[in-house]
Amino acid sequence: MELLDRWLSAASRHNAVLLLFVVCCGVTVIGAMVIRDMQSANSEAQRMYKSSVDGLEEIGELQYDAQETRRTTLYALTTTDSNLQVEYADQTREADRRVRNGIAEYARQAKGPEEQALADRLNRDWTAYLNVRDEVLASILEGSTTEAVSLDLAGGVPAFERVRQDLNEVKRLFGEDASREQASLAESSRRSSSRIVGILSFTFLLSAAAIWAIQRSQMLGRMQLAKLQMEFVASVSHELRTPLAVIRSAADNIADGLVKNKESLIRYGTVLQHQSRSMGELVDQILLFASTEDRKRRVVLQPLAVERIMDVVLADTEALIRESGFTLELETEPNLPVVMADLPGITQCLRNLVGNAVKYGGADHKVTLRVSTSPGGDKSPGEVRIAVSDRGIGIDSSEIGRIFEPFYRSPRVHASQIHGTGLGLALARRLAESMGGSLSVHSQVAVGSTFTLHLPLAQGEDLQPAVDEGRPSRMSIT
Amino acid sequence: MPGTTRSITRILLLTLLVFLLQEGSTSSVHAGAPLADQGNASEPLVIVVNRSNPVDDLTFDELRRIFLGNRSHWPNGRRITLVMREPGEPERKTVLHEICGMNEEQFKNHFVHGLFTGEILVSPKILSSPVGVRKFIFNVPGAIGYLRVGDVDDTVKVVHIDELLPDDKGYKLHVQVPVTN
Repeated sequence: MELLDRWLSAASRHNAVLLLFVVCCGVTVIGAMVIRDMQSANSEAQRMYKSSVDGLEEIGELQYDAQETRRTTLYALTTTDSNLQVEYADQTREADRRVRNGIAEYARQAKGPEEQALADRLNRDWTAYLNVRDEVLASILEGSTTEAVSLDLAGGVPAFERVRQDLNEVKRLFGEDASREQASLAESSRRSSSRIVGILSFTFLLSAAAIWAIQRSQMLGRMQLAKLQMEFVASVSHELRTPLAVIRSAADNIADGLVKNKESLIRYGTVLQHQSRSMGELVDQILLFASTEDRKRRVVLQPLAVERIMDVVLADTEALIRESGFTLELETEPNLPVVMADLPGITQCLRNLVGNAVKYGGADHKVTLRVSTSPGGDKSPGEVRIAVSDRGIGIDSSEIGRIFEPFYRSPRVHASQIHGTGLGLALARRLAESMGGSLSVHSQVAVGSTFTLHLPLAQGEDLQPAVDEGRPSRMSIT
Repeated sequence: MPGTTRSITRILLLTLLVFLLQEGSTSSVHAGAPLADQGNASEPLVIVVNRSNPVDDLTFDELRRIFLGNRSHWPNGRRITLVMREPGEPERKTVLHEICGMNEEQFKNHFVHGLFTGEILVSPKILSSPVGVRKFIFNVPGAIGYLRVGDVDDTVKVVHIDELLPDDKGYKLHVQVPVTN
């Protein structure tokens, strides 16, 4: 269950739409299978129906033509006009030709030895009848009516009776074959129905599971958000309470007249100034995050020399570095290009990264700022990389994916009593992305972390990179 | 008066004599004169039998006996069935004249007499077209008839007459057909 909740949590973090997409794909595939199954069953039924109708029609035609052969022969008996008799002879031979073709077709389509044997017998019996028919016909044409009738009664009737029985046998076998096919089709239809029921049941279960998963993931997401917000409120309260307590204590001491000399007053003033500035910075951070939260914050992208950016960042963080007892090393390539960035945004972003490096930097007390360029290729534009590295506690690989979430704070950080709001990295990433860049991280527990800001190079701008010959490529602040 | 009577008698006898002479002249034409004249062309007439008939050759005398109904069976025992065209057809005239040596009336009288006395068993079958003749002979193993050489196909068999076929020199049966421009 825990594993499932973790998976659901991950799903809710990314997007429930993904799950819906998977479900839709599954339903589409299943629907296609059902439709294909139904089409297959339908086409099989149509084939069988057509085959049955065609077969019955062919048998019917065969029976009719056999009767026609005999009928037209006997019609010749009804006249003494030789011309008419010759016409009847023509008709009987034409019908006889159709019967022979029908028998040959039946023999060709014979499915088994039984049908083949029947086709052979039918052919034999028909030939026997035709021999008698020819004699009868000759007698009729010769004018020997009595002889013709005698011949027909003696040979024609029994021969034709055998043909008739053969044709009935053909019909019976065809009926049996059609019954077998019908049974097969019914069985196929039953299997198809079972498959459809199974598939629909599976679809229903899949949909129900997906709905349950989506709802549960959303609930977990809301719970996590609520938990993070509670932690955020607690953290912010703590962050505000500490300087407030200091301010209140200093104010009480001043009000109670405990601070009498000028030096003490100056010291108290400095404390008040420092604590109020910390509170102000915290409030600014929260307001800035809130402005990026609804994407209302406007960034003003302009071509900026990287050197200028670094100068501002160094100036902003100098006090922090010095007060924390850290050393900041700056390593830059010469002739850095121009980037498109929002100056307040990028300095805020780098200030957060440097602040984190100081906060989690560990005993080594060293932060490195490394600036490099990547020329890019045909498909990827060039970029400037500003990497902020520390040699602190590092980040566990299982937490790498979450550290940019708003309000997220690692349990290890909580355990280490390191205070914070959980907004710094989220804000840094949003700022980087709002400027068309990105923020990446490489970290190893107990070794340190490196956060790299990627900024695209300014394209098609006339502004040339400022060349500061006197600026060292490597400097440090202590 | 007796002189006048004698004169009238002489005139009547003379008229009768002329009539009889004219009648005799017509009969001789019907009996033996060739039918060809300046406006007609001749085409061979062939005697045809069923393909199963083993007979390949007939003499003129045998033909005469067959067509006059004096011979009733083939050597294989099959009854002979004579197939004729309708009276007035050129083919029939040729056969009556060349084979039977009779005119239509004589031929008819011959068969009426033969059937009455039992000397002839069946009268000829009358067909109205060469196609009918061909189909009749195809259907009746013992049938014999005649066709113009252009009407013959492989459903019937042409027999030799005195060992001659239409293409051979000396073949006697020819039908006179009107020349069409």
